[in-house]
Amino acid sequence: MPLLDVRSITSRREFVQRLAAATTATLLLPEPFSEAGTQESLVVHPVAKADSIIVLWMAGGMAAPDTFDPKKYKPFEVGLAVPDVISTFPSIPTAVDAVRICQGLEEIASVLDRATLIRSHVQPDLGSILHSRHQYHWHTGYVPPQTVACPHIGAWMARVLGPRNPVMPAFINIGQRLEGIGENEEIKAFTTAGFFGSEFGPMNLPFPEEAARAVQPPKGMDPGRFSSRYSFFKKLVRNSPARDYISDYHQESMLRSLDNAHRLLGAKEREAFDITREPNEVLKQYDTGRFGRGCLLARRLVENGARYVEVTTEYIPFVHWDTHDRGHETLTKLKKEIDRPIATLIRDLEIRGLLDRTLVVIASEFSRDMITEGQPGSKAGDQANSPKDFLLLPNHYGQHRHFTGGSTVVMFGGGVKKGFVYGKTADERPCMAVEHPVSVSDLHATLFSAMGMSPKTVFDIEGRPFYATDDGKGKPIDAIFS
Amino acid sequence: MRRFFILAACCGLFALLAVAEAEEVPIDFAHDIVPIVRVHCGKCHTGDARQGGFSMNTRSSALAGGDSTTPGFVAGQASQSEIIRRIMSSDPQERMPSEGPALPVESIALLRRWIDTQAPWTEGFAFKGTGYESPLTIRTIELPPAQNGRTHPIDRVVDAYWEKNSIARPRPSDDRTFMRRVTLDLVGLLPPPQRVKAFVEDTNPAKRAVLVREILAQNLDYAEHWMTFWNDLLRNDYSGTGFITGGRRQITTWLHRSLLDNMPYDGFVRHLVSPIDESRGFIDGIVWRGEVNASQIVPIQFAQNISQTFLGINLKCASCHDSFIDRWTLQQTYDLAAIYSNSPLELHRCDKATGSKATPRWLFEEIGRVDPDASPHVRLEQLANLMTSPDNGWLSRTIVNRLWHRLMGRGFVHPVDSMRNRPWNEDLLELLSQHLIEHAWDLKSVLEFIVTSETYAACTPPVFDQAQNADFIFMGPLPKRMTSEQFTDAVWMLTGTAPLKPDAEVVRIKRDKALPALRPIEALWIWSNALAASDPGEKLAFHKQFTLPAAVSHAAVVSTCDNEHTLFLNGKRICAGSEWSVPVGELVTTELVHGTNDVTVVAANGVAGGPAALKVEFHGRLIDGSEFNVHTDDSWEWTTAIPNANGRFPKDHEPGDWKKASVITNQNVWAGASRAFDTRLAGITVDGPMPMVRAVLMKGTSLMAALGRPNRDQVVTSRPVDLTTLEAIQLANEPSLADEFARGSRQILDQHGPQADALLRWMFEASLSRSPTSEETASALEMLGEKPTAESIADCLWAIVMLPEFQLIR
Repeated sequence: MPLLDVRSITSRREFVQRLAAATTATLLLPEPFSEAGTQESLVVHPVAKADSIIVLWMAGGMAAPDTFDPKKYKPFEVGLAVPDVISTFPSIPTAVDAVRICQGLEEIASVLDRATLIRSHVQPDLGSILHSRHQYHWHTGYVPPQTVACPHIGAWMARVLGPRNPVMPAFINIGQRLEGIGENEEIKAFTTAGFFGSEFGPMNLPFPEEAARAVQPPKGMDPGRFSSRYSFFKKLVRNSPARDYISDYHQESMLRSLDNAHRLLGAKEREAFDITREPNEVLKQYDTGRFGRGCLLARRLVENGARYVEVTTEYIPFVHWDTHDRGHETLTKLKKEIDRPIATLIRDLEIRGLLDRTLVVIASEFSRDMITEGQPGSKAGDQANSPKDFLLLPNHYGQHRHFTGGSTVVMFGGGVKKGFVYGKTADERPCMAVEHPVSVSDLHATLFSAMGMSPKTVFDIEGRPFYATDDGKGKPIDAIFS
Repeated sequence: MRRFFILAACCGLFALLAVAEAEEVPIDFAHDIVPIVRVHCGKCHTGDARQGGFSMNTRSSALAGGDSTTPGFVAGQASQSEIIRRIMSSDPQERMPSEGPALPVESIALLRRWIDTQAPWTEGFAFKGTGYESPLTIRTIELPPAQNGRTHPIDRVVDAYWEKNSIARPRPSDDRTFMRRVTLDLVGLLPPPQRVKAFVEDTNPAKRAVLVREILAQNLDYAEHWMTFWNDLLRNDYSGTGFITGGRRQITTWLHRSLLDNMPYDGFVRHLVSPIDESRGFIDGIVWRGEVNASQIVPIQFAQNISQTFLGINLKCASCHDSFIDRWTLQQTYDLAAIYSNSPLELHRCDKATGSKATPRWLFEEIGRVDPDASPHVRLEQLANLMTSPDNGWLSRTIVNRLWHRLMGRGFVHPVDSMRNRPWNEDLLELLSQHLIEHAWDLKSVLEFIVTSETYAACTPPVFDQAQNADFIFMGPLPKRMTSEQFTDAVWMLTGTAPLKPDAEVVRIKRDKALPALRPIEALWIWSNALAASDPGEKLAFHKQFTLPAAVSHAAVVSTCDNEHTLFLNGKRICAGSEWSVPVGELVTTELVHGTNDVTVVAANGVAGGPAALKVEFHGRLIDGSEFNVHTDDSWEWTTAIPNANGRFPKDHEPGDWKKASVITNQNVWAGASRAFDTRLAGITVDGPMPMVRAVLMKGTSLMAALGRPNRDQVVTSRPVDLTTLEAIQLANEPSLADEFARGSRQILDQHGPQADALLRWMFEASLSRSPTSEETASALEMLGEKPTAESIADCLWAIVMLPEFQLIR
């Protein structure tokens, strides 16, 4: 597979020429920052530990106490005192001695010896806690609103690292619709390359089972007609009377993009988008629903050279992880949907020898706690002040409140330590991170560094420096890498 | 004595240092050090200035020191460092800065800590002030003599510039190139082929100037092209963040009307800065849910947006701290914001309150002040007057630079929001600004001034590498990529698939009140039965024959059907619709004849079934002045036989079973359409057919976004120049676009017939404003086949539309 090693390319010109899929150089795209003018950014990138990254996004706020950070547990009973219980699932053993996670994640537990758990991820308190603002922050590294359109971290990687395989889009976003759901404008605001321009933006594939269609000829056009249409186009270009412009920069770049598109649409890699090409038993292994199918698609895309793939459980207000009622019941179902596909993805990548160079990250915009909801002006600690309450109804049994003081991020592969736990949260409410708190900036710095990109990478936008992590200050957590 | 002083100063300093160290806040180069260097050292030791041979542009130049061999600093040892020694020196010969007050002790402390902690420097950062700022007021320039009879003032300046830079003048463009370019640039549309032909054949030597006037007089087309530009600049959209909670308002109706009326630019800006209710949405910004950073509160958004949009000044940096890259300060930003604010503003530095208050002031008090004690309403009025004062050269320079950028592919000042960058030609910028002011702030006049120059009309020279940096040399106009809206409009125009209803609330046609009111609509909903009962997908032909006693001077038809219909008049397809609430119509002055007229409508119920009904009304005036009216009622007839593509039945297949149509008993079922029906007919009768709904009036789709239409949460002033791979994928297979080509090609086949060479000629002329070459004809005929089908037409047209020649405006 002709993967492109961007790091070996020395000059910008060569970069532009070789990066066939990317029409990076334009008049208006921001340039690597240097007030002195046009030279390359002088940022030194670290040596990459991973070539691809898959972010498994648990949209809506995945409660750490009910997933990867078990606390004291009691089953529901009428009159259960809230202070007596934090987790609504009992803990289970994992492949790592002394590390336990919550019931319902048995499959993931069995591959946890390949993982690092960061149990001390913290988010800023954005006042009245809103999913889309936190998701914006998590995906761009910047708290909205901002004066410029901030790029998604996938767009940063697409811009700085480029595609691994020139015919594959560098940044692919699976499972999130951008229309027809609540808060869709807010979701769109960060599902973008922002000021980098749409070349570096996501290829959105909301339905994994329909992904193949995104790279197929239009409906009703057979491949023969599709390719003869393009050959005719090329003939017209060759015969163009405007000969002066044959090697014009604008024309060349436009033709290159059209060519790349048709190469993908005609290439073998196109099959990567078609999950139905998997053997039936593999498909069944993943197919717990849309998210599971998304994991399978992600694996196929990474195998074929995708750089950044995100698979989301889809954010819809009050659906999936956004539990404000019947939390325990919802999570029981949700875990069934994510457990087997995630574990299968890890094993599959391992079998294929890809796990060492693929970073898989499970994350969410914040955690949850059982009882109280953040109020405007409240601090993270206050969010979990439990009233002295008793549960009377089973639908109140669950994690119904937002909590930004401590959540868990799980990472597999890509050079992270195996069977390692970093940071911890308090055992009693509020379950704040009490050891090695990891901010969004530092987490991003960790992901960027693992991928071989400096967290200080900087671009000039409107004459101002704009960094990959807020003000260039994100620090990678070196301790989690072996 | 002297020694004692230094000691005292140092003691104070040490005390301060001790406090700072106790807090262990690491030095932040960008925020702590850069501003000090800019303010105190910048004038003599950054950018081009290197007094005493000492430049602080980069860490290594600062380390190297100046003409003396002493290094500028010793990393890790502030007390051994020359910079620190000089700023703390009490010897006036030695002390830095050599003019003005000494550095504050806090700044000295920061610099010491910075050096003591190894003088960290943001990688890649270098000081380089632009060092440029035009005088506030526009100056009158002296025009160089005309060369070779090129007398246009723009050409006189450009010719002198080219001569000085030894640039060969690009050759003039031919008529077709010029017409396509100027039409797309001024009104955003492809020129109609018959108009191109007439223009090329016109022998009037002044025909280009005449054409420009005619195009600029297409007020609606002009407004709906420039609306794209202004929506971006004014952050206006029909959907987006903020609307869901009422935190944001549109200015759509006001904006559309202002452009339609070509409101003078000073008035336009006044309406936006000191708004009427309809134009408030711009300065009121977006009220975000939840808590926001101090730099994003609405008054700060106001300061940022008006300065960026109208003055080309970037206050975004200066919203958190004094700008590192420009001369604007945090105080200036807050003072400007305070003009808007209803309550006193406290300065926040990097989101932390500073305790000092803002005073309502604007940026250039040389030409006048805002009364800080007046009410916000009065302050905004005063600000609007100051901003639009002819003495404020920032306003005129910024807009003419933006217009030049749109027309020529690059501004005099680049990028267009940094008006403190040096223009590549100051005189031209002054010339255009002066033109704007002298022509009563008429933006169309500036556009006309530019596009009537030979400089604009020159061929675009090929570009072999991107031109971007400060040493830009103007060689001639640059190609521009079609905007998302231009591309979409062009496809809709070629395929006839524009949407029927705009999303934007705009008044597209102004009714002329002088014309007599139309008489009430008399048309009735009819079908084969009075209950409107119909099978799903049922298709019927309705027919009416009528006689006109004289020739027609003016006539129109409007029709609608539940669910879809096509109307034919005297063997010609007139209009078709597929949404009953949106009546369609056309002028039929030339189609109606003195004598017998035949109208046939093919009407069909939707596949989902439900009631079906048809409504048609002709309205017009005969040359004798009398009015006539023909409409659906029970005198119409229907049959299940379906006519051919011209609405005719072959001679030997005339249906023999015409039946009388029934007026639907309950006419109120479709009451929702009656006003639209009335307005539509009135609109067409008075003003001609409703112009195509344009992309700028529609909510953004994912395809439009992919083609570069921005998310308008922020002010956007330029669009992406390159077509990207993801966009190219969409151009190849996006369903809505593919559907437009598929539907369009069936209509094209209907309208132009199946003659391959005629079809081909039309496609090239309509798309590229030129005929195909013989080579192109040969390959295209092969593609189209002997008998072109809708499919082969769609593919041929798609290929033409994908050509760089189509998508790049040259």
